[in-house]
Amino acid sequence: MGYAASEPGTTAVAPALAIKILVAGGFGVGKTTMVGTISEIRPLHTEELLSDRGVGVDDTSGVEEKITTTVALDFGRITIREGLWLYLFGTPGQDRFWFMWDELALGALGAVVLADTRRLQDCFPAVDYFEQRGIPFVVGVNCFEGARRYDPDKVRRALGLNPSIPIVLCDVRERASVKEVLTTLVTYAVEGP
Amino acid sequence: MTGEDPGPLIRLFGLTGGRARPQGEMFDLVAIVTTVFGARPPADLQPEHHAVLALCRRPKPVADVAAHLRLPVNITRVILGDLRREGLVGIERPRPAAQTIDERIYREVLDGLRSL
Ligand SMILES: Nc1nc2c(ncn2[C@@H]2O[C@H](COP(=O)(O)OP(=O)(O)OP(=O)(O)O)[C@@H](O)[C@H]2O)c(=O)[nH]1
Ligand SMILES: [Mg+2]
Repeated sequence: MGYAASEPGTTAVAPALAIKILVAGGFGVGKTTMVGTISEIRPLHTEELLSDRGVGVDDTSGVEEKITTTVALDFGRITIREGLWLYLFGTPGQDRFWFMWDELALGALGAVVLADTRRLQDCFPAVDYFEQRGIPFVVGVNCFEGARRYDPDKVRRALGLNPSIPIVLCDVRERASVKEVLTTLVTYAVEGP
Repeated sequence: MTGEDPGPLIRLFGLTGGRARPQGEMFDLVAIVTTVFGARPPADLQPEHHAVLALCRRPKPVADVAAHLRLPVNITRVILGDLRREGLVGIERPRPAAQTIDERIYREVLDGLRSL
């Protein structure tokens, strides 16, 4: 077996690198769809079992309290080459799972905040979150059928976004569209405004 | 999601000795797990632990390990913590993406995305 060992100094190849990208936004805005459209694997539903952390878990009793609440974590993968991957994580929508965002956001390259023009306010918490932590993000305006194709400047004003933050109109069911959102994010995160 | 067959959960409980949290480090979802070359696993190792050792001969992030095992991330972390304590896997704490992405990787990622 010619596999690289993990001991420092014995690895000849470049270290494996998995780059984290978050997909955030309000309830039902298309996060799971976006991850599924671009991922080479079926969007995996990794269930996070909540344990004894203070997350306001529904009141249960006894030992079950530790293990009964689950939250599905969407996750998708794009292999760039062996040892270099992009991982997309759809953030859990419910507020009581904020603590998971912190874990997900740690060291992330950046985030896509999906917005639905019919209820733009739903993405405020996500925008605030990434702004406060200085995590680079782009806003993807998911153009649902029936929703007017919005003027990005209107979205910018409505969200109070800094002029440098990219806004991309998208259809998260379309691969090409999701690619555009992601290349915009990667470029913005690496090169800056 | 509640009210399902409790069987699997009880089994998970056994797998981790009731620990829902790993001792020590809270492995990041993209921390890279690599099976230590030439490590000799103990005979009584559980199937899930064996599965990790086989999978991670090629380095894999924690999230992938959880997905392959079809286990919750927390439980996967407990298993990984055990394996590391036994010296069977190495787990590399990821550095922030901003520090690891050099010009070459940046180009590779962009080209890779475009050619999808
Ligand atoms: N017409 C249309 N429907 C969409 C689009 N994106 C998502 N949908 C649909 O909207 C619904 C919600 O999409 P999801 O991807 O599940 O949204 P989500 O953000 O993951 O939702 P939660 O995880 O529940 O917050 C699904 O029925 C999708 O098929 C879109 O661009 N156009
Ligand atoms: Mg979803």
